[in-house]
Amino acid sequence: MKIHLQDGTARTFEGGPATVSRVLLSLGVNPVEVIASRDGKVIPEDTFLGPDDEIRIIRVSHGG
Amino acid sequence: MEANPDGTGRPPACDLCGRPGVYLDRIQNRHLCSDHFVGDVEGRVNHTIQKYVMVQPGDRLAVALSGGKDSTVLLHLLRRLLPDADLAAVTVDEGIDGYRDATLRSAGATTRGLGIEHQTLSFLDLYGKTLDEILKGQPDRACSICGILRRKALNTIARRAGASKLVTGHNLDDEAQSVLMNWLRGDRERVLRRPEENGGHGFIPRVKPLREIPEKEVALYGILKGLFVELPECPYMHSALRGEVRGILTTLERGHPGTMRRVVEGQVRLSRQLSSIPRASRPLRACERCGDPTTARLCQACRLFDPEGGPGTLVSPER
Repeated sequence: MKIHLQDGTARTFEGGPATVSRVLLSLGVNPVEVIASRDGKVIPEDTFLGPDDEIRIIRVSHGG
Repeated sequence: MEANPDGTGRPPACDLCGRPGVYLDRIQNRHLCSDHFVGDVEGRVNHTIQKYVMVQPGDRLAVALSGGKDSTVLLHLLRRLLPDADLAAVTVDEGIDGYRDATLRSAGATTRGLGIEHQTLSFLDLYGKTLDEILKGQPDRACSICGILRRKALNTIARRAGASKLVTGHNLDDEAQSVLMNWLRGDRERVLRRPEENGGHGFIPRVKPLREIPEKEVALYGILKGLFVELPECPYMHSALRGEVRGILTTLERGHPGTMRRVVEGQVRLSRQLSSIPRASRPLRACERCGDPTTARLCQACRLFDPEGGPGTLVSPER
């Protein structure tokens, strides 16, 4: 599956079916600090993702 | 609460209505759909406003609107929850290149869309220099200096707007960070300060309707209501203790859901239980330089500046 980060870069996850949380943690991202969406729809962090899924990450925790 | 380990990819269902969930509430261990999540946030913000008696009849509310997600969500929520309230938006332009312009545009679009009066005050107008110019050569002190100057600027513009309360968009994460930072700095005055003791020292009373809503929930509310705009980060945030404390708290929150709420609630209980402890209390007087209320000869903002160095020149840290 493919993960689009807020800085415009993309990463891949090839560990088989996994929840959003597990994918994020594997990338060193704390799920408390981000919101994930798939096909333009926000999904809970315990949603299972399939190998063809693409998710977009929005970081919510920053200064300003 | 059931996840979907069958690999179908469907989001877990809302525990209240069965529609697709958008949020896992890890404290109550439940999923919520978009409608139930929005209703839940609005209900809790309304409860916070009532619990702390944040708004009273006759109040004129100046909402500190930076243009970022928290203050944008706050303004929309206040308009929705308090449709008859006398609202004005006030914005401080610190003068941070590459950052503030985008948020100022966002703030202007928000107030125009809601038809709410909007006033802006810049550091350049108030102090004679932008924050970038003030901090030249001293970026490590950015957050503490900006905090003092922003506080004065917000108070000034709220007063100009004729406000009886200043409403800020601080969320639960901000509040938990402040509690921890006060302890880390050994700041006894702030550790003992009760939430009702907002404003004080001649400042317009401040209220924080989002103080019990986690930052992630504020952002999600903004996304679901079409209010969320991706904006640049403040370039000075990386120099701040707050950034480190934020990382510590979100890590703890991940492992122990409810940590931030317990930190804030514990602080409220502690400050109330310790309210009989004598505190330093000096009479208010007018700042000798700007006339603002202060307990010292000069107010905190004026103490930062060197009167012999021209407008906006900081006192040297060695002095």
